[in-house]
Amino acid sequence: MTSALLEVRNVQKRFPGVHALRGVSLDFRAGEVHALVGENGAGKSTLMHILAGVHQPDEADIFLGGHLVTITDEQAAQRLGVAIVYQERSLFDLLSVAENIFSGRQPVGRWDKIDRQRLLDDARRLLADLDVELDPRTPVGDLSPALQQMVEIAKALSLQPRLLILDEPTAALIEAEKTALFRVIERLRRSGLGIIYISHRLEEIFEIAQRVTVLRDGEIQGTFRIEDTSPAELVRRMVGRDLAATAAPTSVQGPVRLEVRHLSDPVSGTGAGPFRPLLADISFTLRRGEILAWAGLSGAGRTELALSLFGARPRGAGTILLDGEPRSIASPADAIAAGMGYLSEDRKELGLFLDMTVAENVAAAGLGRFGDWRLDDARRDGVAADFRRRLRIASPGVDAIVRGLSGGNQQKVALAKWLLIAPKVLIVDEPTRGVDVGAKAEMHALMRDLAREGTAVMVISSDLPEVLALGDRIAVMREGRVAAVLDRAQASEEGIMNHASRRDPAS
Amino acid sequence: MTEMTAAAPSTLAPPSRRWRLPGSPRELGLVGLIVVTCVVAAAIYPRSFATFANFSAVMRNLALDGILASGMMLLFVGGMFDLSVGATFSMVGVLTGWLMKVGGLPVPVAIAIGLAAGTLAGLVNGTIATKVRVNPLIGTLATMGIYRGVAVLIGGPGINFLPPSFSRLAQTSLFGIQAPFWLMLAVVAAFQYLLAHTRFFRQYYYIGNNAKAAQLSGINVQRLHLIGFGIMGFLAGLAGMTFAARIGTSVSIAGDGAELRVITAVILGGASLTGGRGSVVGSLIGVVFIALINNVLIVASVSSYWQSIIIGVVLVLAVAMDAIVGRRSLRPGNA
Repeated sequence: MTSALLEVRNVQKRFPGVHALRGVSLDFRAGEVHALVGENGAGKSTLMHILAGVHQPDEADIFLGGHLVTITDEQAAQRLGVAIVYQERSLFDLLSVAENIFSGRQPVGRWDKIDRQRLLDDARRLLADLDVELDPRTPVGDLSPALQQMVEIAKALSLQPRLLILDEPTAALIEAEKTALFRVIERLRRSGLGIIYISHRLEEIFEIAQRVTVLRDGEIQGTFRIEDTSPAELVRRMVGRDLAATAAPTSVQGPVRLEVRHLSDPVSGTGAGPFRPLLADISFTLRRGEILAWAGLSGAGRTELALSLFGARPRGAGTILLDGEPRSIASPADAIAAGMGYLSEDRKELGLFLDMTVAENVAAAGLGRFGDWRLDDARRDGVAADFRRRLRIASPGVDAIVRGLSGGNQQKVALAKWLLIAPKVLIVDEPTRGVDVGAKAEMHALMRDLAREGTAVMVISSDLPEVLALGDRIAVMREGRVAAVLDRAQASEEGIMNHASRRDPAS
Repeated sequence: MTEMTAAAPSTLAPPSRRWRLPGSPRELGLVGLIVVTCVVAAAIYPRSFATFANFSAVMRNLALDGILASGMMLLFVGGMFDLSVGATFSMVGVLTGWLMKVGGLPVPVAIAIGLAAGTLAGLVNGTIATKVRVNPLIGTLATMGIYRGVAVLIGGPGINFLPPSFSRLAQTSLFGIQAPFWLMLAVVAAFQYLLAHTRFFRQYYYIGNNAKAAQLSGINVQRLHLIGFGIMGFLAGLAGMTFAARIGTSVSIAGDGAELRVITAVILGGASLTGGRGSVVGSLIGVVFIALINNVLIVASVSSYWQSIIIGVVLVLAVAMDAIVGRRSLRPGNA
C-alpha cells in the first residue's frame, strides 16, 4: 500500500446551524488523483478550506508525511505544500501572466526592485512545464477562460506544492480545453504530485481519478478505487436515500399563465458574468398553480434565464406571454408591473436591504401599495407584521434590522417582499441555499401554499431532493438550453443528473 | 420589567417602541455638542457671542449652506454626491446678475432662467454619473472646474449694483432675521418631509442601501439619481442667487469652498459615504455646528485662515469615527 502524503482523521467542523463535517477521515497519496464528490452542502468545500488553512477545524488530526501538523492559516498551508485552485477566479485582469503567477512573491533585487527578467524567466519555465504556449507578458484579461485556468494552476504550482487541490476546474471550460487540462493533470500526477479533484461531473472522474471519495451531509460514504465503482453507485451514495419519488402533493392546475417561446440571448452580446451570451431557444409553459422546478449544473443558465424573464438581463429573440398576452418586459419594474416576482439566489447582494428594517424590506417591491404620495408607515408595519406572523419570521419585530437575522429568516423576509405584490408568476432561485433544515421545510410548504393559491412558481434549485419534492414538472437545463422537461412521475435523481451532465444525446 | 417578560415569553423580547428618541443618536449627540459649545462660548465671550446680533449673523451665514445641505443629503442618501455645488452656486449667482444687469431682463425672468440653469448644471452631473457611468467624484470634480470657469467667464470678478427690486427679496427681515434664513427653513422643512414621508423620495434610501436589490425591486435607480442631481443643481442655483441678492453683487467665486463645508455638515449630520442613511434635519444640525464653530473662531478673533483647516479636521474626525464604529459592528459575532 502506498503511504499517505496527507492524512486527516476525525475532522469535525460546525458552523452556526450546520454540522458541516462529522468526523471525516481520509488520506491522499502522492502520484494520485483523488476525486471528491458530493451534493452541494455535503462538506467538500469545507474540507478543502480546512486543508488550505482558510477554516480551522473544531477537531482534527492532520498528518503530513507522517507528522502531525496544524494548518493555522493560508500561509501555513503553503509552507506545508498544500496549494489550492478555487472555482472562483482569483486573477488580476490588468496584470500580466507573470505578475499574476507570482503576485506578492515577485523575485526582487536590490532595494526591493522587482527583477523583471527573472520574473519572466520563472513564469516561462512554469508555463513550459505545463506545456502551455503563452507569453508571460500578456495581460490575464485577454486570455480565454481555459488559459486563465492554466495561469491559476501555474500560480499554485509556483508554490512548489506536494498536494494540489482543484475545485471544479472544468466548470468554465469547453470540451477541447478540458482535454488539454486533463493532459496537464495527468502529467502532474506522474511527476509525483498528489491531486485532489472536486467535480460535479461524474464522467470526468472516471476519466482522470484513481480513487474517489463520496461525501454526504458531512460524512464519508465511502472511498473507492475507480475501477471498483460505477457512476450509478456514486450517485446512489451521494444521494443516499431510497430513490423512490417522494409522495407528490397534488396541486390543482389551471390554464397556462406563462408561456415562453424561443427565448435566446442577443447573438452579438459580449458581456461578462451573468451577461455572457448563453441562452438558446428556450420554450416552455407554466400553468396557474403549477410548480416547475429547474435543475441543471451550475453555469447551465438557469439564473440567466430567470434574470432574462425578469427584465434584468438583455434579451435577444423570443416572446414572453402572460395569460396569453405578449408582454414586453424591459426592466424589473416592467416585470413587477406585469405581475412577476424574482427571489434572487444571492439574497444579500441582490435581494435584501440589510441595514433596513424587516418592514422596509417587505415593502420594497410594492411601495405604491402604501400610498402614491405619502407613505403610510403604520399600514406598512401592520402588513409586514402579518407577513412576519404568517411566515413565522423570528425577529424582534418588524422594525428589526434585517442584517441581524439568521439566514433562514432573512430568506423569509426576501420572500415576503414578493408575496406582498401577490405575483402571478414567482421565480425563486436557490430558495433554500444556506438555510437550515427547519426553515427549508417551511420554505417548501410556503411555495406549495402559493401554488395552491394559483401562483405559477418556477423553482431553480441545485438540490435534487428539493427539485423532486417541489416540482410538478422538472425542467433540466444544460449549456443554455432546455435539455428535458420531465413529469414528476418519470423523474429520478439519476435521470435528472444524466440530462444535466450528458454530453451526447444517447442514453 | 416583569410585565414585559410575562407578555413576551419569546427569547427575542422586542424592545419597547412606545418611547422613541426624536432623532438618531448621531443627531442628538451633535445637538448636545452644539449646546455645550454655545454655553462655553457664552461664558467666555458674554458680550460678543451671546447677543442677538451675533445670533442673527450666524443664522444668516448658515442659511445658504442649509439649502445646499438639503440637496446634498438627498444625494448622499441615494449613494451619490456632488463636488460642484459651490461652483454651481457661483455660476448661477453670476448668470442671474448678468441677465438683469447686462441682459436687461426683468428680475423674475432672470430668476427663472437662473434656476433653470442650476437645474441643468445638476442634470449634466447626473447624466455623467448615470448614463456615462463616471464616478461622481471625478465627474463632479470636472464640472466643478467647468462651472467655476463659466462663472468667471460671464462675470469677471463680479457684477455690482444689482437691481434693488432683486436685492430687496433677500434683504428684508422677519423677526430680526433676514429672508435667506426663512427660505432655508422652508427648503429644509420641505425636503425633510419629502425624504422622510413620500413614496417617491423614500426610494433613495433603498437605492443607497443596495442599488442592485433596488433595481431588482422595480426601482428605477438611474432615473432617481438623475433627478437627485437635478434637485441638487436647482438648490445650488437658488442658494447662489439668494446670496447675490443679499449682498447686491454677483461674486464669481462666492461659492468656492462650499462643497467642503456642506459635505462635512452632511457627514456630521448622519449621512454615510456608502449611502442609505441620514435625514435632512440631520444635515441642518451639521450645518449649524459648522456655522457655530466658524462664529466662535471669529468671536475669539482667530484668523479666518483657520476656518478651512478646522473644518477639514472636523471632517476627518467624523469620518474616522464612522470607520471605527463601522469596523466594530462588522466584527464576527455581530454578523
